[in-house]
Amino acid sequence: MTQGPETIQVDLPAHEPAQPLPPLSSPWLGRERLAGLSLIGLGLFALYASADLPFASESGVGSGLLPRALALILIALGFVQIAVTWSDKPESTGRWPVRDMLPVLIGVFLFAITIRGYQFGTFEIPALGMAVATPLATFLSGLAAKDMRIGELVVFSVILTVVCIGLFRYALGLSLPVAPWLIGY
Amino acid sequence: MMAVLEHLGLGLAVAFTLQNILFCFIGCLIGTLVGVLPGVGPVATISILLPVTLSLDPTGALIMLAGIYYGAQYGGSTTAILVNIPGEATAVVTAIDGHEMAKKGQAGLALGLAAIGSFIAGTVATVVIAALATPMTRLGLLFGPAEYFSLMIMGLVLAVVLAHGSLVKALAMIVAGVLLSCVGADMETGRERMTFDIYMLSDGIEFTVLAMGIFGFGEIFKNLADPEKRDVMRNRIGRLLPTLRELRENFGAILRGTGLGSVLGVLPGNGAILAPFASYALEKRLSDRPQDFGSGVPQAVSGPESANNAGAQTSFIPLLTLGIPPNAVMALMVGAMMIQGIVPGPQVIQNSPDLFWGLVASMWIGNLMLVVINLPLIGLWVKLLKVPYRLLFPAIVAFCCIGLFSISNDGAQVIMAGIMGLVGFALYKLQFEPAPLALGFVLGRLLEEKLRQALIISDGGMGTFVTSPLSAALLLIALGALAVAVLPSMRKSREEIFTEA
Repeated sequence: MTQGPETIQVDLPAHEPAQPLPPLSSPWLGRERLAGLSLIGLGLFALYASADLPFASESGVGSGLLPRALALILIALGFVQIAVTWSDKPESTGRWPVRDMLPVLIGVFLFAITIRGYQFGTFEIPALGMAVATPLATFLSGLAAKDMRIGELVVFSVILTVVCIGLFRYALGLSLPVAPWLIGY
Repeated sequence: MMAVLEHLGLGLAVAFTLQNILFCFIGCLIGTLVGVLPGVGPVATISILLPVTLSLDPTGALIMLAGIYYGAQYGGSTTAILVNIPGEATAVVTAIDGHEMAKKGQAGLALGLAAIGSFIAGTVATVVIAALATPMTRLGLLFGPAEYFSLMIMGLVLAVVLAHGSLVKALAMIVAGVLLSCVGADMETGRERMTFDIYMLSDGIEFTVLAMGIFGFGEIFKNLADPEKRDVMRNRIGRLLPTLRELRENFGAILRGTGLGSVLGVLPGNGAILAPFASYALEKRLSDRPQDFGSGVPQAVSGPESANNAGAQTSFIPLLTLGIPPNAVMALMVGAMMIQGIVPGPQVIQNSPDLFWGLVASMWIGNLMLVVINLPLIGLWVKLLKVPYRLLFPAIVAFCCIGLFSISNDGAQVIMAGIMGLVGFALYKLQFEPAPLALGFVLGRLLEEKLRQALIISDGGMGTFVTSPLSAALLLIALGALAVAVLPSMRKSREEIFTEA
């Protein structure tokens, strides 16, 4: 086996403990009860969604049997979850950083509708390909970082786009649209 | 025994072609990379690369994907030791004592022991796979639909018992996973289920979409919500290779970890995830000075690391011999095999022995490569740790988007994964584990299919699941495991294993 160097001096990023949880917004609805309620909600929704499916079929197991059985189990588990954690002290679920997540979601959405184009009624987005969709997704999601630097992010988006096109389209040979409006594919 | 050696010989001949060595190396390298980088794991990576494997030959593709999986286990322990951030879920245990060792200036020793332990574990696990493959395959050939159904039920129950934290929540996640797999056209009648006439749901949810959404986008949302602060601190890595005495002191821990990992990994239901925790608990019990655990004991690194690696490798057994994926990565391997026209199951070993034994042998070669990739190149990986997250996650978003789009050249998949990312974030906030959800989803369709087949054969009699002795035994094991897990005394010791670690 190769002998490693005796010592290496490096700068390492250190890990800091997470921030304390913010106080509970509602004294009753802690994380565990919310989890139980979510299960009940999901189960009820699945019951509603599968209401039109038949129970039985030629094989005995109709399309609706499994979904409805599972939905009922989920509802039951939701009640069990609430029951077993009833006496625990309610804990907060922490911060829900919707505003931080929004740029990422918008970036992903724009990627989806620009890469091969999309039609909303009369309004049509042309197929813009990876050359547009990739930097859009990268730049927008990069905006979500608190320590974001705009110049760095722009340069990075451009470099990453070039790398992605080179890697996925040319090196790996996937048939992805690069820039149909410019080079035809 | 002779047959095992013969098979390994065949495998080595396949794996030692220049092309396959190259694929193995690429896989290990990518695996180490994603293991080291926080916020991107093997599930998201393999999902992105799945469309790419279409143009490769089947053996090479599987060798590369397998390399990513066990390479990530190696890389994950590197970050666990150096910065106390477990790059992979299974490296959580390593972070405890490994990082304490790093603080004492023994980072190199911890890394070295982890690598040597993993290599020994990988070697033993390769032999275990080779030895178990033929008998397990024979067993698999005896399985009819009823037995398969019971086996999957057992796997799902074991996944609940072996999961972290609350049993109720783990069970709920499995059920929700199976429920999600019902969305889309019914396989038997073609009737659309729970789609609300939304066209992107009509073919059901692709597993890669679920995986990239929850494990790719979901991780990013999670890190944006609770950022891990990483400030620069000066530290010494120290010498990498242990002395003979240190090696002797850790040898027992390595072997025990390997044994635990090999056994737990074989269980259908992702036993591998429990292996490092079990090894930590065992070493602590056997130690003369259990009070030192948590303050940098080498055995608390070498044992769990070996267990982790052995488990990662033997979890290929249920997939390769029975066709039942025990975790999300193995489910993606099913996808990779299906793309190549290979149906996973007991017939693989007979129809394509080259692929089967080549893949097994490549794991040993890969483990050897990983020692070389990890130890001398540790400086390079440390530099990678300094890549700021503000640039890392936009890149992950871009890669995921491209990977998602290339599944079926459809932007709708990208949007669906974005929604799945929100689901994943909600799961994290409510402290639901996503792993059982993924497993339930993966096995869901197969479960319904086998249930129907079994009931057609038995003319609708539910008795078929208990009259077949094999099926009855599997269901009994599942029932027993569940009963034991809810017993108050067992619940206490189960919690101890997870909280001690």
